[in-house]
Amino acid sequence: MNHIVQHIISIAFACAILLPIKAQDSQQQVLLPGEQPKPSRYVAIEEEKAHIVLFQGFTLSVDAFGPVSYMVSDYGTAEAALRLNLKNTYFPIVEAGYGKCATEDFNTQVSYKVSAPYARIGIDFNMLKDKFQSNRLYLGARYGVSTYKYDLAGPTMTDPIWGGSEAFNIPKTSCTSHWLEVLMGVEVQIYKNFHMGWAIRYKTELASTKNDNSKPNCIPGYGYTTNASCWGGTYSLIFDLNWGMKKSHKRRMNIEIRETRPINQPQDSTIDDETELNDDDRKESTDGEQAE
Amino acid sequence: MKSNPQHGHTERHRMKRLSPYSLIAGLMILLGACMLAGCYSNNCPMENTVTCNYAFYDAEGTAIAYQDTITVSTLMPGYKTVYTYRKMGTLPITKDEPDPTLVEAGYTETLSQQRNDTILLNKKSNASSIKIPMSYFNAVDTLIFAYRSISSKDTVKIHHSSYPHVELPECGAYRFHHLKSVTATDAAIDHIEISNPDVGYEGTTNIKIYFNGVAEAE
Repeated sequence: MNHIVQHIISIAFACAILLPIKAQDSQQQVLLPGEQPKPSRYVAIEEEKAHIVLFQGFTLSVDAFGPVSYMVSDYGTAEAALRLNLKNTYFPIVEAGYGKCATEDFNTQVSYKVSAPYARIGIDFNMLKDKFQSNRLYLGARYGVSTYKYDLAGPTMTDPIWGGSEAFNIPKTSCTSHWLEVLMGVEVQIYKNFHMGWAIRYKTELASTKNDNSKPNCIPGYGYTTNASCWGGTYSLIFDLNWGMKKSHKRRMNIEIRETRPINQPQDSTIDDETELNDDDRKESTDGEQAE
Repeated sequence: MKSNPQHGHTERHRMKRLSPYSLIAGLMILLGACMLAGCYSNNCPMENTVTCNYAFYDAEGTAIAYQDTITVSTLMPGYKTVYTYRKMGTLPITKDEPDPTLVEAGYTETLSQQRNDTILLNKKSNASSIKIPMSYFNAVDTLIFAYRSISSKDTVKIHHSSYPHVELPECGAYRFHHLKSVTATDAAIDHIEISNPDVGYEGTTNIKIYFNGVAEAE
């Protein structure tokens, strides 16, 4: 099935590129009686086949934005992600991290503390037309979940009419939260297997465990629940892993070259150019000629 | 892989499409998002007084504005000493503090112990609803409804539980209540019922009081 899709895409892609060239080529082949062919060495028809193997490897990434956020605010995360690369287009991803929040309101003196792990699962789509390049612009979606216990404390509560007082301290309230994220980001190759990228995320809370006393003020991996939705971001340091990777997987493209020589043109005139192709390309080229 | 010189899509051209400068742009966007996130947004409720809301109806369930003047007081924990002064031919006078001038005037002073009380609603007239606070730590609130037009009083007992509630830390901590049962005497009240057992600051009607009589159609 994948091969069929590949062929359809490659044919459509080749048609878009080659039609003008083909037209130009056809014009060059028409010679009037007594007219000599132009002294060009050859006219090459290049067909870029979007042949990308399905499995393109794994990447491991860590988020640098979460720790920085914790240093400058009350909330932060430590997060890593394992991502699968399929055809340089689809990137199923699993993210796991540990979120921590400790805040106290200056006016009300009500404090909220939580620290717990969280996980997200989702997929990114590379939106660039050129799937071969190492840089990416992607859109993605995530489903996140976290099970945690938060502590809530505040000043002593005193009944102003009937009297009496009681310390306000509610420790370890159990809660499970679910949320969705949509994101947009870029990723740039810095050096060989090392990439960096950023993403902004729009998050919306789906549900949290109901509790009479309170609702969670901050969810690990999600952020503050002051509004029904919130924004977040990641700044990722991304490392390509070579698990299960063959050398051929790093092949970016195969080029099929079909040659059309003018009349009476010696065949050895293209040897110099053909030597620039590597073995894989040569094989494709040979296959292409045989197919013709 | 070496690029074919005739080939239009060279590696160099591809890299130009998405340069490392986008990382810097992204960092600036993230910092901007942080600044936006830092903007203070207060989502605390405007009405933040926790009261039990009573709505008035006639005996047949028609919403009314009760014409009489109502004073609601509640019994407090503990007792107080009440001083009563009596004299032939005059009405008795009750005071919380001793008054020697009345004794000098020929009144007889009598001491008695009564439950502490306080007024929660003072002389409210022509009301269709009232708001009464609830105790934080008592299981039962006892309310005394006094009317101007009749000498009898009604006693309303509300059994409830209370718990602290925090919507957001910046909104502060409140005491919410859950109504379990409510009873009333029948001096002016026909019957009473719980409408919404959860008492918060939302302002919904929690208890319906049905007074004796039927409202006249206008």
